[in-house]
Amino acid sequence: MSVLHIVEVTKTFPGGTNAVDSFSLDVADGELVCLLGPSGSGKSTLLRMVGGFEQPTGGRITIDGEDVTHLPPERRPTGMVFQSHALWTHMNVFKNLAFGLKLRHMPANLIKEKVEAVLELVGLAGYGDRMTTQLSGGQQQRVALARSLVLEPKILLLDEPFASLDQHLRERLREEVRDIQQRLKITTLFVTHGQDEALSMADRIVVMANGKTEQIDRPDVVYRNPQTPFVAGFIGTMNLIEGEVQGGHFVRADFTVPLPIADGPATLAIRPESLDLAASDKPGASVHRVTDYGTHGLVDLDLADGTRLKSMVAHPDLFRAGQGIELLPRAVAAYRNNQQIYRSSP
Amino acid sequence: MSEVTEGAVRPLIDGAARRRPIGLLLVAIPVLLMIWLVIWPAMNAIGRTIWRTDANGQLSFDLSSYVFFFSDRYSLDNLAVTLWTTFVCAILLLVICLPIALYLRFSHGRLSAYVQALAIFPMFVPSIILAFAFIRVLGPNGMVDILLNAVDLPKIRTPYLTPWGPVIGLVWDNIPLTVLILLAGLGSVANQSIEAARDVGANALQVFWHIILPRISNSVLVALSFSVLGIFSSFTLPYLLGPASPEMLGPFMQRTLREVQNPVGAMTQAVVAFGFCIVFGLFYVRSVARNQGK
Repeated sequence: MSVLHIVEVTKTFPGGTNAVDSFSLDVADGELVCLLGPSGSGKSTLLRMVGGFEQPTGGRITIDGEDVTHLPPERRPTGMVFQSHALWTHMNVFKNLAFGLKLRHMPANLIKEKVEAVLELVGLAGYGDRMTTQLSGGQQQRVALARSLVLEPKILLLDEPFASLDQHLRERLREEVRDIQQRLKITTLFVTHGQDEALSMADRIVVMANGKTEQIDRPDVVYRNPQTPFVAGFIGTMNLIEGEVQGGHFVRADFTVPLPIADGPATLAIRPESLDLAASDKPGASVHRVTDYGTHGLVDLDLADGTRLKSMVAHPDLFRAGQGIELLPRAVAAYRNNQQIYRSSP
Repeated sequence: MSEVTEGAVRPLIDGAARRRPIGLLLVAIPVLLMIWLVIWPAMNAIGRTIWRTDANGQLSFDLSSYVFFFSDRYSLDNLAVTLWTTFVCAILLLVICLPIALYLRFSHGRLSAYVQALAIFPMFVPSIILAFAFIRVLGPNGMVDILLNAVDLPKIRTPYLTPWGPVIGLVWDNIPLTVLILLAGLGSVANQSIEAARDVGANALQVFWHIILPRISNSVLVALSFSVLGIFSSFTLPYLLGPASPEMLGPFMQRTLREVQNPVGAMTQAVVAFGFCIVFGLFYVRSVARNQGK
């Protein structure tokens, strides 16, 4: 039973930069929560505060009810996996894993047993004698994960652990890490700027921007029902169109959509997969480019004023550049004053 | 196919071939200087101390100058005090410079900039000025004695003209180079390696011992080799600050040559000093070779 509470945590760096601003989050036992945001959003600073590598300037962090806000990293029940693996290259794999256990004065036979078990868990059985420099990037990251897991931390912290790996390896490793996390039921906080990683691994996603929470929800909810224009634009591909609402219709150039909200400026959000197209001679939009990805196609469209939109289509061969198009959105959301004010049913 | 491949490879080979004479020429200057100023005098000294002219004017193999050096109590005492000074300086340099380098590596801000400037400062002070400052501060009736006297305290036992005089001067003189070499070594220790160690439960001392020290062992060896080579063959500071007897090999050679007017004896002392320096130099070469092998 390991629960993490982050209460009103703030981090202001010397010079006045507010990296994290009054951030609160509860992570339940065995839950994997992803902190997702662009560079500079404060997600890594927040993770480092949980790990004890940065001191918050305000707020409180508790693990299982124990206040760890001002404890040094070596006295926290957390284990961190770093982006650069941070393996000790003068030690072999076994010594990297055994180091923390030796510091705890564990008997040698028990250390051997635990290290071999965790190497088995991460699929590196028999690699104990190898020097870390002899391992591939993926193997090094598994050793880094094993080094944290062998100490059985209450909270596992992952700081963009797959950022330095290639796409194929990243996809394989995130599945493996998710499997291990679920098998061990270890409470995990995972920092990433890759939305694919967050959507595929997390129980919940915290979308961060400028040190603040934009939205905390399940991955499917964050994707289907983004609460702010930032989340809408950051998660997946989204057509965000600035325009005016007049008499129950959103208007931008020759493009109009029924929108039952009060008149005034608004941002319309339409996913490419929710924007159907029909060939038309009426003024509206024209095809700029068609890209065939094999499984589907992506049509780039221009409104009369040059606004670029994207639509995902099943048969890209039906469209060609310069063709007149009628836009038929199936699901839209509208934002005003940085908040969602309307969402149609898909 | 083969034509295309050859055509693609040839310019590279030609380029390398063109560059080779320039590279050799650049290397030739220091190599020739080393042969002229180091190798030749060393070989000459070794030759002149082991092939000597006897009473009949015949050139013969003769190790008597070495036999004398290694059986003469005074020469051996001088060698012992040189080795002692070198060893003590090496230990003190490590003890003083390692904390300074660690502080500079892991601290940021104005204070660390001042500390760095202070640590590097001795590099710009000539040894003769340093010796003069030492005498004025720690010598008999120096500034420390005057200050102590002002508050009715007894004078200090001055290290001037004792074996500790050269030790203090040489340590101060070698701090900049040692700090810079250690700092360069510490630059290769990633912050995340240290954070990872703290994360698994290591305290500051354990991080230093298990993570930092193994990573900078080569730099420590290089720093010590450089310092030891300089200290073992030093002249100015031992001459100005050290005792007359026993004396370090530098002043001993000078006195044997100028005052005793025994060039063979001085050359023998030089060859012995050269032998010790070669041993110290081997540590440096070994550590560099090990580093490049990684």
